[in-house]
Amino acid sequence: MEIAVIGNSEFIVGFRLAGIRKTYAADDDRKLVEQITNVLEDEGIGILVMNGSDMARIPQRLRITLENSIKPTVIAIGGEEGGLSIRERIKRSVGVDLWK
Amino acid sequence: MALRDIKPTRSELISIKRKIKLSERGYNILKMKRDGLILEFFKVLEQAKDSRGEMLNKYQKAAEMIALANTVEGKIGVKAAAFSVKETPEIELRNKNIMGVVVPEIKSSQVKKSLVNRGYGLLGTSSVIDEAAESFEDLVDTIIEAAEIETALKRLLDEIESTKRRVNALEFKVIPELTEAGAFIKMRLDEMEREELFRLKKIKARTSAKARTST
Repeated sequence: MEIAVIGNSEFIVGFRLAGIRKTYAADDDRKLVEQITNVLEDEGIGILVMNGSDMARIPQRLRITLENSIKPTVIAIGGEEGGLSIRERIKRSVGVDLWK
Repeated sequence: MALRDIKPTRSELISIKRKIKLSERGYNILKMKRDGLILEFFKVLEQAKDSRGEMLNKYQKAAEMIALANTVEGKIGVKAAAFSVKETPEIELRNKNIMGVVVPEIKSSQVKKSLVNRGYGLLGTSSVIDEAAESFEDLVDTIIEAAEIETALKRLLDEIESTKRRVNALEFKVIPELTEAGAFIKMRLDEMEREELFRLKKIKARTSAKARTST
């Protein structure tokens, strides 16, 4: 299993430095969606790391797929998006907003 | 189940009583499962909050370091170093069981590397790149941990939701309907018994009247 990173070229270079090979550059929206679909089809990827601002840019349907996806697990960093989606789910499942 | 579909027979009453008993037992068990899941969920939630905060901090630090490296070495220099890193962190997924919910347990190997193992030359680059690489390795470590916890959280949430739905369906739909059906059958059976009794009395009265007139 490997880790994949999708983002603009500045975002991915650091992860490249940490030794992650599956880094995919996506500078515009179309490319972003294309790369995400590719990663979702790749069986060897266990974790997908994305930038929070990129997460906000992709179409809603794909975003929901990513948020609910368990393999690969999608982690959005830099930005509140990742936390917000979990917050919504907690509200729906437990009925109380526990994420504070 | 509409009331008109029920046959008011004794065997049906018995089977409905049995169904009520089964549903109530299932309801109690599911309620306990729901409570247990929520307790587990609270534990994971605390961890998730911590790991997310830590991840954000580390990301900010790593972003700063890479910006610094870009300034000192130039973008090309950083990229060249980045593309020469050979060692890839491998992760291994294993399954763990929390109250019947299968959650992944992620093990990672060699995210952190020593200076020599990174792959780019020691002499060609400055220490800024080393520091940037180190902070990103640190970040990846935290991301792996956060991924494990968040997946567990998501799975638990899904399970809590479906268990809650089942508990509610049993409590507010299945059990009341069965109880209603049971009451209906009981009423109909009683009614039929009374009718039967009345009929018998009527027949008895008629036969005794006939016997009186013949004598």
